[in-house]
Amino acid sequence: MLDRFIEKLQAFRSDGKTIRDWSVYQSESRRLALGTKDRQTGVVHAPLTVSEGCGARYLLVWSDGRISRGSLERRQLDQDADSALTQARAVSFEDPDSDQVQGPGEFPEVDLHNDGVAALACGDVEPLAGRLAAVRELVQGRNFRTWSGSFGASEATARLRTSRGLDLGGRGTSFGWHATLNGEIGDGFGARALDSDHEFAARLQRLGHVAVRLGEPGKRQPAGVMPVLMHPNVVENFVLGTLLGNLEGAGVVNGESYFRKEQFGSNKPVLRTDLSVRLDPLVPMKSGSYRFTAEGVPADRCHFIENGRLVQPVLNLKYARRFGAGPTPVPTSMDTVHLEGPPELTEQEGCEAAAGGVLILSVLGAHTQDASSGDFSLSAPQALGMTGGEPAGRLRGTLSGNLFELLQMDDLSLVRFRGEHTPGLLVNCRFDPK
Amino acid sequence: MIRELEPLTGLGAELIRRADRAGVALIWRAQARFACQTLVRNGKVESATASSSTGHGIQLFTTEGRTILGSRDDLLPEPATALLDHLFGALGRADRLGLEPAAICPLTPLNARAVPDVVTQFDAIDLPGAGRRLIELERELRGTVPGAGIKLSYRTDLDCWRVFRSDGTDVLFAMPRCGLTMVASSNGGEGRNTVGVSLHSPSPGCAWDERYLARFMARAAAAARLALALPDAPSHPAGSYPVVIDYALAKGLAHEAFGHAAEADGFRSSVLAKDGRFEHGRKVGADQVSIIDEPVEHDHAWQPFSANGVRRERTVIVDHGRLAGGLSDPWSAGPGGVALSGAGRAESFRNGPVPRMTNIRIEVDGPLPAPGRFEDYGPEQVRDLLANAGVFRRHPVVSFLSGYSGGQVNTSSGDFVFNCKAIYRLSDDGVEFFKPAIFSGSMFGALDSIREAFGPLELDALGYCGKWGQSVPSSGGSHRFLVLDDHPTVRLGGG
Repeated sequence: MLDRFIEKLQAFRSDGKTIRDWSVYQSESRRLALGTKDRQTGVVHAPLTVSEGCGARYLLVWSDGRISRGSLERRQLDQDADSALTQARAVSFEDPDSDQVQGPGEFPEVDLHNDGVAALACGDVEPLAGRLAAVRELVQGRNFRTWSGSFGASEATARLRTSRGLDLGGRGTSFGWHATLNGEIGDGFGARALDSDHEFAARLQRLGHVAVRLGEPGKRQPAGVMPVLMHPNVVENFVLGTLLGNLEGAGVVNGESYFRKEQFGSNKPVLRTDLSVRLDPLVPMKSGSYRFTAEGVPADRCHFIENGRLVQPVLNLKYARRFGAGPTPVPTSMDTVHLEGPPELTEQEGCEAAAGGVLILSVLGAHTQDASSGDFSLSAPQALGMTGGEPAGRLRGTLSGNLFELLQMDDLSLVRFRGEHTPGLLVNCRFDPK
Repeated sequence: MIRELEPLTGLGAELIRRADRAGVALIWRAQARFACQTLVRNGKVESATASSSTGHGIQLFTTEGRTILGSRDDLLPEPATALLDHLFGALGRADRLGLEPAAICPLTPLNARAVPDVVTQFDAIDLPGAGRRLIELERELRGTVPGAGIKLSYRTDLDCWRVFRSDGTDVLFAMPRCGLTMVASSNGGEGRNTVGVSLHSPSPGCAWDERYLARFMARAAAAARLALALPDAPSHPAGSYPVVIDYALAKGLAHEAFGHAAEADGFRSSVLAKDGRFEHGRKVGADQVSIIDEPVEHDHAWQPFSANGVRRERTVIVDHGRLAGGLSDPWSAGPGGVALSGAGRAESFRNGPVPRMTNIRIEVDGPLPAPGRFEDYGPEQVRDLLANAGVFRRHPVVSFLSGYSGGQVNTSSGDFVFNCKAIYRLSDDGVEFFKPAIFSGSMFGALDSIREAFGPLELDALGYCGKWGQSVPSSGGSHRFLVLDDHPTVRLGGG
C-alpha cells in the first residue's frame, strides 16, 4: 500500500509544482482490549473490543520550498492519494527549517515483538483468564468494595520511506493492564511482552496492601514543611512529566519553557548537581523502546540533564536546526526514562527517613498545573502518614511548592520501591492536611 | 464528511440482516471527521494541517446481554462484513473470561437527522488565509501587551456520525466545532508563567467575525497581561476561605464535582447512589441551587443524539438543592433508577459509548445584576459587585478565583479538585494579587456553600473531558460570578 502511494506521490503535480523531498511513515495495527467497571468485566461500558487501523504521517517539500505536514488515513493511502495530495498542497506553508528528510544510516536492532502478545491482540484471550481470576480473588479475599481496570494488547508493523533512500521497517507489540481498587488507588504495568505471573501477582499484592492501609484513618498532623515521600507513580506522573514537558525543543526555542535556551550546555546547574535524566530506548521489550522515530532519527541512549546541568532539549529535526544541534531520540514512555542521582535509599530506609511526614500515593490535578513556572498546588487525597518507619493510616491534604526549587535541595533523596522502574522522591515540602 | 455517511443505508441494512440471522442485536456506528488546524508563533506559520478520519464500529449484543465491539478505519462493505464474522467468533471465544451481561431498557426506533446549516462552510475552509489572519491578530496582541510570548491557533473540526440499530433506528448528525486559542508566556525576568484562553464558534469563519474577535481579543489580552504579572505574584495561603468564582470555574465545579458522579454507569460506586441506585430527593446543596445538563445549540459540546442513537434529553441533576436526575444510557438507566437521557458519548467509532455530560451549568435563583460584557469584569469590578451586594459585611475578605485551568474528581469519595489561573483577594481596602492554587474538597460542601450569583447565564466555558480514556468536548457555565461561603471541607491551596 505504501509503495503504491509513493509512486503516486512521485508523479504528482499541483499548479506546476512537484514534490521535491518526502518522508512517509506508515503503520498498521491490530488491538484487543477488555475492561472491567465496578467488578463487571466486559460489560457494555467496558466492552471487549477488537480494532484494526492503518495510517501514515507525512512530510512533503514542494519544488517551490513550501511544506506540507500531516496524517493520512487508510482510505487516502489506499484509494484516494490524488485528493489527499491536492489537499496537502492547499494547506502547505513556508517553513524553511522543516525541509529536512533523513537518508540511510545506522539503526540499532531492538527486540520489540512478542508472539504471545501478538496472539492476544488477534483474539487469543486465554492469558487474561488467569489474571482476571487473580484480581477477583484479591478483591473477594480482602473484601474490597469494588474494582475497575483494563487489559490491552496490540501488534503493529511500521515502515518509513524517504526521498533520500531511507527504507526502514519494523514490528512491535505492546501489552498493558491497570487495576483500581475501591475506586481510589490503582496500579498497572506496560511493556512489549506480558509481565510474568510472579510479577503480576506481586504487583497486585502490593496494590492490595496499600488499599488496605488507605482504609485505616491516620493521625492528623499539623500543616507545614515536612518529609514528603512521593511514590514512583507520582514521580512519573508529576515530576518527570513536568521535567520532560519543559525539555521539549519547541518550548525551549520559543521561550515557553522554564528552561532557557542559553542554559543548555552551560556549566551552571539548574538542578542539584548529582541529578540526571537520561533516556535509554535500546532496552529490549520496554514500552518506550524503539529503533527509529517517525522522522527516521535512530534510537540511542542520551542524557537530557546530567549532574544537574542541561545537556540538550528533546529535539526533532526542525527544532534541532533552530536550536543549533543534532536531533535527539524522543522519550515515549517512562520505562525508558531514568531519573538518577545520589545513592538510593531502600524502601525501608526511605520510610524511616520520612518519619513524621507523609507518603503521597497519588495526586489529583497534576494536569492543571502551569509547568513552565514549576509552581505546584496539588490535592493528595491518597496519602499515608509515616510513623515509626512505616506507612500508617490515611491522610488527605494539599501539597505545594516549586518543583525546580525542590530538585535543587540538599535534603532530596531517591528511594527504590520494590518492582518499580522509577525511584520515589523524598523531599521536604509543604503539606496541608485536611 | 456527511457525504461519506449518506450512502451507507444499504450496508447498514446488510449488517443488521446478518446479525439478525446470527441471533444477535447490533448497533453500527459510522464516523467521518475532518479537522484543520494552523498555529502561528513569532509572526510565522508554525504548522498547518488538514486531516480526516473515517471508520466504523460494530457492537453486538447477545440475547443474554453480552457484548463485543469491533472497529475498522474505513467504510468498505467487504471488510465490514468480514469484521462482523470475526466478532461472532471472538464473542464465543471470550466466554471463559466471565463477561458480565447487561440488560437494555426498552427503546423506541428513531429515524432522525441533525445537520446544522453551518456545515456547508466546512467545504470552503481557507487554512492559508487563517494563518495570515492569525499573524495579523498576533501582531495586534503584541502591540496591546508588549513583552508577552504569544502562540495563536485556529482550528475547525466537523465530527459526523451515523448510527444504525437492529430495531430500525437510523440517526445521522454532524457536530461543528471551531475556534481560536491563544497561549501567552512571560518571557523576561527569572520566573516564567503560561496562561491560555480559548473561545468556541460553530463557524469556520470565526477568525473573520468581528463580534467573535472582539470577545476573543479582549480575553487574549487579559490572559497575556496575567502571564506577565504572575511571576512576581506571591502564593495564596492555604485554608478554607469565602470565594467568588467566575462562570468557567463554576462549570468546572458542576462538571467535576457533580456531573461525573451523576453519570449512571458509575452508580455502583458513586457517592450520589446507594446500592447502585440514584438517591432521588437527597439534599446535596443549598436550596437556591440547581444543576442542569443539556445539549445547547451552537455549543462546543453540542450533541443532539447519543452514540447509541437515542435523543439527548435535558437532565436536571440537582433541583433546588436535591438530587433529581442522572445521565444515563439504555443499559444504566434501569439499574440506576433514572430516566433514559441519551447521554452515551464516544470519542470515536473505536470506543464504546459511556454516559457523559454535554453542557452543564449551575443555576441560582434570583441572581443579582452584573451588566455589560463578561470581559468588562476585572478584579476591581468584581469587588464592586460584592461591595454593592453587601458581601463584605458577611466576609470582610473574599478570594476571587479567576479562569479555569482543568480539574479532576474521584466519584467514589466525592473529592474534587480544580485549578484557576489567578487569585485576587478582594476587600473594602482593595485588591491583592496571588498565584493560582488548587481548589479542592467535598462536592457537598461546595454546593452547600453557594450563596450569591451575579449576572446572566454564560454557558461557553469549554474543555475536553477524559473519562475512561476517551476525550470528548465538554462545556458549561453558570451566572457570571458565584459567591461561596467558606466551608471546612473545601480548601484553597496551598501554593
